[in-house]
Amino acid sequence: MFKDLNPILHSQLRLAIVSILISVQEAEFTYLREKTEATAGNLSVQINKLKEAGYIDVAKAFKDNYPQTICKITPLGVEAFEEYVKDLQSYLNVKK
Amino acid sequence: MEQEKVLTGQESLELISRMISKAKRDYQDTGFSALLWGSTITICSLVSFANAYIKIPALDLIWYLPIVAVAVQVYISIRESKRRKLKSHDDNIMGGIWISFGIATFMLSYFVNRYQLDQSAGLFLTLYGIPTFTTGYARHFRPMLFGGLACWIFAILSSFTPYPYIILYLTAAAQLAWFIPGLILRKRYLKANKANV
Repeated sequence: MFKDLNPILHSQLRLAIVSILISVQEAEFTYLREKTEATAGNLSVQINKLKEAGYIDVAKAFKDNYPQTICKITPLGVEAFEEYVKDLQSYLNVKK
Repeated sequence: MEQEKVLTGQESLELISRMISKAKRDYQDTGFSALLWGSTITICSLVSFANAYIKIPALDLIWYLPIVAVAVQVYISIRESKRRKLKSHDDNIMGGIWISFGIATFMLSYFVNRYQLDQSAGLFLTLYGIPTFTTGYARHFRPMLFGGLACWIFAILSSFTPYPYIILYLTAAAQLAWFIPGLILRKRYLKANKANV
């Protein structure tokens, strides 16, 4: 038996965002957009969903007079990601 | 990237691994600082060694060159941090280690001059080894790990070596601890940047 995969993370763009944020301390919105190749609108919506779930922190600031959005994974996000990978592994093992 | 595509388990794993390696590849040290300090200390020590024979008092001022290098370092660090769109997990720790190394080096220079300590190269070499070894150890970067160890070996050897040859240990340390690792980092950085274009 395997657990259902976390629906918040089991989405292409949200999983991509969390995978990047797990590897770094923090990343700018523009960086996430560049790496995920998502549109700004899509990315914004998915970031908000992750924020509402408590998986990421979003801080807004100004850098050289331009607005800057910095995203950072939270301890809850790390825990959810680890759990997701574990579930994914057991899911793949069951399928084999 | 589509926003709500349903992923298979295999696709999820592939996506995770692709994104992690993208972020890892993007976090590359430019190698600039290592090259800057490797060159600065190499120049200072070689001029100092030559001056032990040619004895031109003005050439002793070469040891003020690191002050110029600090200004260049601050400027470049600010520029790099403005360009950087992500911060790695160990950025703050590494920054703290290298800043404290800079402060400790200036303090040691002050005490060496204040108490007119001769043969101080061993003390500086011991200090050089600390941030170099730590960086190599923390980032799993062998050239710096060995560079740090080389600094400590040279520090011991310097206690058995007469002046002015002792100065050449500083040259060798600057090359092994910073300049050569800096070249390797620079090469990796340029390669990664080329791959990202």
